[in-house]
Amino acid sequence: MKRSWRRVLPYLLALGPGLLAASAGNDAGGIATYASAGASYGYGLLWANTMVTIFLFVVQEMSARMGAVTGKGFSDLVRESFSLRIAALILLTLFVANAGIVVSEFIGIAAAAELFGVSRYLAVPVAALLVWLLVTRGSYERVEKILLALSLCFLSYIGAAFLAKPHWGAVLVHAVIPTLHREPGFLSLLIALIGTTISPYMQLYIQSSVVEKGITPEDYRYTRFDVLVGTLASGIIAAFIIIATAATLFPHGIRVETAADAARALEPLAGHYSRALFSLGLLGASLLAAGVLPLATTYMMSEAFGFERGVSRTWAEAPIFMGLFTGLVVLGALLALIPGLPLIKVLVGVYVLNGLLLPIELFAMLRLVNNRELMGEHVNGPLHNAFAWGIAGIVSLLSLALIVFTVLGWFGVGPGG
Amino acid sequence: MLFLTSLVDQPVQGRTGEAIGKLDDLIVRIGEPYPPLAGLVVKDGRRRFFVPASHLESLNGAARLASSIVDLAPFARRDGEVLLRRDVLDHQLIDITGRRIVRVNDVQLTRVEGSYRVVGVDVSPQALLRRLGPRVLADRIVGRQIIDWSDVQYLASTAPVQLKVSYDRLADLHPVDLARIVDALSYRESAEIVAALDEETAAETLEEVSDERVADLLEGMDQERAADILEEMAPAAAADALEDLEDEVAEQLLARMEPEEAADVQALLAYDEDSAGRIMTTDFVRVPEGATVGDALAAIRSLDEVPDPLLAVYVVAGGDPDTLRGLVRLRNLIVAKAETPVLDVMDDDVPTVRPEDRAEDAARVLAEYNLLAVPVLGADRHLLGIVTVDDALAVLLPEIWQRRGARAAFA
Repeated sequence: MKRSWRRVLPYLLALGPGLLAASAGNDAGGIATYASAGASYGYGLLWANTMVTIFLFVVQEMSARMGAVTGKGFSDLVRESFSLRIAALILLTLFVANAGIVVSEFIGIAAAAELFGVSRYLAVPVAALLVWLLVTRGSYERVEKILLALSLCFLSYIGAAFLAKPHWGAVLVHAVIPTLHREPGFLSLLIALIGTTISPYMQLYIQSSVVEKGITPEDYRYTRFDVLVGTLASGIIAAFIIIATAATLFPHGIRVETAADAARALEPLAGHYSRALFSLGLLGASLLAAGVLPLATTYMMSEAFGFERGVSRTWAEAPIFMGLFTGLVVLGALLALIPGLPLIKVLVGVYVLNGLLLPIELFAMLRLVNNRELMGEHVNGPLHNAFAWGIAGIVSLLSLALIVFTVLGWFGVGPGG
Repeated sequence: MLFLTSLVDQPVQGRTGEAIGKLDDLIVRIGEPYPPLAGLVVKDGRRRFFVPASHLESLNGAARLASSIVDLAPFARRDGEVLLRRDVLDHQLIDITGRRIVRVNDVQLTRVEGSYRVVGVDVSPQALLRRLGPRVLADRIVGRQIIDWSDVQYLASTAPVQLKVSYDRLADLHPVDLARIVDALSYRESAEIVAALDEETAAETLEEVSDERVADLLEGMDQERAADILEEMAPAAAADALEDLEDEVAEQLLARMEPEEAADVQALLAYDEDSAGRIMTTDFVRVPEGATVGDALAAIRSLDEVPDPLLAVYVVAGGDPDTLRGLVRLRNLIVAKAETPVLDVMDDDVPTVRPEDRAEDAARVLAEYNLLAVPVLGADRHLLGIVTVDDALAVLLPEIWQRRGARAAFA
């Protein structure tokens, strides 16, 4: 008994970054995407969630392995291993993807505020100022845990899914057997699902936390276990959000157009409190990421390009660093203030963009992970490579298909159509 | 002046001007103050081969070799050799004078007495722009920011080969600046830096590094060295670091420390983080109440190590050195005559704090009563230590958002 504990214990102790990285995927945009998927197509996209969860594990595992073997973060490796022009392109892609998510976090704040009856023209500027001050004064860490706890409200979807009495047989069948709808809305939701589940910042995060902890290739198997557990947890939560919305909203033909629609799926569990529960979770998750993402993105760019950095620096000492950080917060807040913005549609749209940019990140990652000078014997095996390239290929094809459909759509609604 | 980025990918010519290939990379030996060129890596189609520097006639314009006959042995990496394009360009260095981490945007070479040497690195954003835009525009972007090579610290872990790198230059950095760099680098790079420091400097540096990073560094190094460094650290800093380690490892390290230092640290570990007991100093001077000013000064002078800062001496009961009577400020001690009894110059109405009080409250007492140090009294009003302004300042200032904090917050 004792011996088996000793064998299991290191695995349990290693649980952390992987779990945190994966659960971070379930933020404002993630909830919007999963809720839309369930409301619009019932259990019809569950299989995609299963597939994307497997993809996520493959990708997160490569990131963690790169961190353990090279001891360097992804953006460092990109800058040091690619020619400057290619590196700049990859980093720009990551920057755009992250900036999109920053926008989505402020939209999340706007949506949560409106559920409470507070105008977003008040809530968003206040939130932006608050985030900026907390981060630059170095006191963000103090509120982080509170926000993290608030975001756990989303776990209530699990309870809501059970209470909604879904057809479990259908759930199981749909979780493994793909169904396809030949319409652009389905395709873009599918890509958004990929984009929100496999977000670049999750790979950046897992790799840098592995590097920070100084995990060696010898300890790597514990980290891989952590990544596996984290991925599974994230996939299961996503599945329950889809199940909950599929069981409550889909039968009544309610599409998720506003945050209030997504909150209605919690009614079986929370009744009248479902709105409050949902908006608290949304507020916590969005505020948390609205501070962390712009800062992490600014660090990524400043490190890769060698700009002076640190929030303890003044504008004169680190103008680019401070400018980038402030710019990201202001951009996120301003875009969330555009009058008449269809919030949920924009949230999903951000992840469609993420999905479209994903192939660039995947190709860069595969080049790096197969670089023998960096990875030595820890390069991908042939089977692993085939699978990973397969994912990159599938995501690229889907993205390409969406672009083609969209362009065709433009002509379809043109004067001739 | 020659710059690496304008040399690479340019044709390499033989003695009579015939094309031999393209310049792929330059090899230098990193050990010397200005690393000399050891050879070229020339690329011909998909083959890469080595040309020793002795075969090189000139690098100006196109690289021109002194002979047209080259040994076509394929290039292989060797220990001690660094490739300028692969291992230096686009990588990080420490700028010693600037006390910061920089990224190399270009490498400057020059010909000294017939051989080429690396003399500096360009870290300017303009160098980035020159490389990003089309070549024709490159000349129109002006501005460079060159750091002399003798002023940078190259990190051996950057190159995938065994290197002997001198870390002498790190000695020019203040431990506080070293700490900032150690916090900002990745774990492996920071471990390389700390490994190069002597125990005393390492201890002074680690006192200023974030607790989590210190814990990781201590866990990653040889236990004997970790214990030696912990002994040199201020007990409060050592306690903070040990608390972030797994209990088993922390106990092993404490067991390897000198019993006296280990006991000091263990005493502090008994108190909560952020309590007055944790941040207090146990290093202070006691004098018995019957002593004179002269005795007190003599007692200070006879110490092997005088506490720093020394703000006051603490007067304790004659029969019981743990019972506080009051304190004598250093100022009064110096002004008074040697034969004056300490009781005559003693302040006996001294505010005190308890070890379990919050560190912030101790700091507030210091501020309110305009004190430089406040005594910490235990349950039976025994004198345990003092909290100095130095200790308290670290508590009062908001924790500066460190880079690692931001990274870990990527969730």
